Amino acid sequence: MPNENERPAAPDEQVINLLMSVLKNRGALFLIGVVGVLAWLGSGFFIISPGQQGIIRQFGKEIRIASAGLNWRFPSPIERVSIVNVEQVRRLEVGFGRQVPEENVYMRREVMRSDAMMLTGDENIVEAQIIVQYKVKDPVKYLFRLRDPEGTLYTATEVALRSAVGRSTIDDVLTTGRLKVQEETRKFLQRLMDDYESGLFITEVRLQVVDPPDQVKNAFHEVVRAREDRERFINEAKGYQEDLIPRARGEAQKMLREAEGHKEEKVLKAQGDTVRFKALLGEYGKSKEVTWNRLQLETLERILPRANKVIIDPKTGSNALPLIPVQNSSFLDAFKDKSAISAPTKEGVI
Amino acid sequence: MNALTLLRYLPWIVVSVFFLFSSVIFVVDETDQAIITRLGAYKRTIQNPGLNLKIPFLEKANFFEKRILTSGALPAEYLTLDKKRLVADHVTRWKIVDPLLFYKTVRDLAGAKARLDDIVLSEMRRELASHDFSKIISSERENIMDTIASHARTQAKEFGIDIVDVRIKRADLPQEVQDSVFARMMAERQRIAKRYRSEGEEEAFKLRGETDKNRTILMAKAYEESQKLRGEGDATAAKVYAEAFSQDPVFYTFVRSLEAYEKSFNDKSTMLLSPDSDFLKHLRETYSQKS
Repeated sequence: MPNENERPAAPDEQVINLLMSVLKNRGALFLIGVVGVLAWLGSGFFIISPGQQGIIRQFGKEIRIASAGLNWRFPSPIERVSIVNVEQVRRLEVGFGRQVPEENVYMRREVMRSDAMMLTGDENIVEAQIIVQYKVKDPVKYLFRLRDPEGTLYTATEVALRSAVGRSTIDDVLTTGRLKVQEETRKFLQRLMDDYESGLFITEVRLQVVDPPDQVKNAFHEVVRAREDRERFINEAKGYQEDLIPRARGEAQKMLREAEGHKEEKVLKAQGDTVRFKALLGEYGKSKEVTWNRLQLETLERILPRANKVIIDPKTGSNALPLIPVQNSSFLDAFKDKSAISAPTKEGVI
Repeated sequence: MNALTLLRYLPWIVVSVFFLFSSVIFVVDETDQAIITRLGAYKRTIQNPGLNLKIPFLEKANFFEKRILTSGALPAEYLTLDKKRLVADHVTRWKIVDPLLFYKTVRDLAGAKARLDDIVLSEMRRELASHDFSKIISSERENIMDTIASHARTQAKEFGIDIVDVRIKRADLPQEVQDSVFARMMAERQRIAKRYRSEGEEEAFKLRGETDKNRTILMAKAYEESQKLRGEGDATAAKVYAEAFSQDPVFYTFVRSLEAYEKSFNDKSTMLLSPDSDFLKHLRETYSQKS
């Protein structure tokens, strides 16, 4: 067992003497052997934390899985343990320009930059960034069936995302179709990872950013602005409507009220007039001639003071007409307060 | 043999025992498989993991990966059916299923990758050339991949390789074409923007027209209603008048005429009166003359 003596014929007398004494003492030799074996066996203990699993290989062959707690295996080189966390949700970002090493997949800076660029089904270009969350579902497969599961996942994510984006149009990808793309990507990615026996389970695929490339961003913003303009135009027209219609309703009501007023007025006036007429008629029936003449004279009395009067004797003939400048104001003033009867007298035409 | 002699030779013994063991015993891991050759001649294949024995010195264990491996290629340009240029790369997943055949034909991973690339590339070229660009991008992508994979799988069999799948990772337009794609995208967006704006105006005009129409109708209805009301008023009034006045039409005519006279004469009117008129009669007549 003493390995330090593998070197042939150590010349050091002291060491040889010591070893000689040990070898001669069989009890000591046995003790060393026992301690050595115990130490070796003791190195077989290992601890599995919650959420982890320990895959134990005996001479390279997977024989059992150790669960959480203190475990023991035959120490190396007989058995080996690989501990895998099966609860931890891991995370992978694609399209963020980060380099993920994968054997034999090309890796160039400029490619990384355009990592996020992809073609949509209608031959437009979008930039998309995606986050994949995954767990180790089957640690045996994860460890032994696929070389570089993480790198493979990265590539497969690109494949799945591009395939899903390729099946959509740019408008879908940028707006309503995002969830669909996400879901398609997840399903496809899971299928690929199952095909590759990766032992990985995709818990979530989340599209972070889906944008048109910088070169055309302005045009896309312009569309957003145009959409806003559309809403504005419509709102302005609605404003016009809301401004005009109530006012028109008001005007219409005004017109109606006026007409109603007119109607009432007419009817009431007519009623008033007829009441008056009937009263007068009653009086007239009692003494017709007097009433008749009285009304006639009273009317003349009211009319004549206002009008200019010219009294012409028909016997003088009509050649005297027109002869008096009746519009003369001083002439009018002179008759302002005179009675109808006295005025012609003053005129002196008689 | 005394103890000292044993001690002297112990290192040698340990080393040679170890060496003997390691040349007899070997471990095949879960991730590996091996073929045993005896002086270069194939003896057997070991695909199950575990502890194995071989004849020391004469037999040699050659290990191969049992896991699924990846082989990718740089993007290359392809011509599609509609004569468009397409830049695409691919990733092939494969595994060694027959280590002997693999060992015989391609010997190691690097050799295998080179052969696989050749196979897949030519399959890609063939398959992509028989589809339209847009189909490759969208609907047919998976079918094309499956076809390429199955063709390549057949060819790769002779290398002891099984192809799991072939996937196009990126399928892009060549760099030089990108600018025109961007130009097209911009034109398309401008078209959409214009459509939105004119849709807005369309809707606005519709609304305004509708508003104007409604207003006109509203006013006309009000006019109709008001004329009706006025007419009703007029009619009622006429009826009331007629009923009253028909009691004595002559007197009514007289009274109404008087009213009309009164209204029609104002201070601008000039009256020519004859001294012979009944009105002035009393200026003229003496008492005896009274009629």
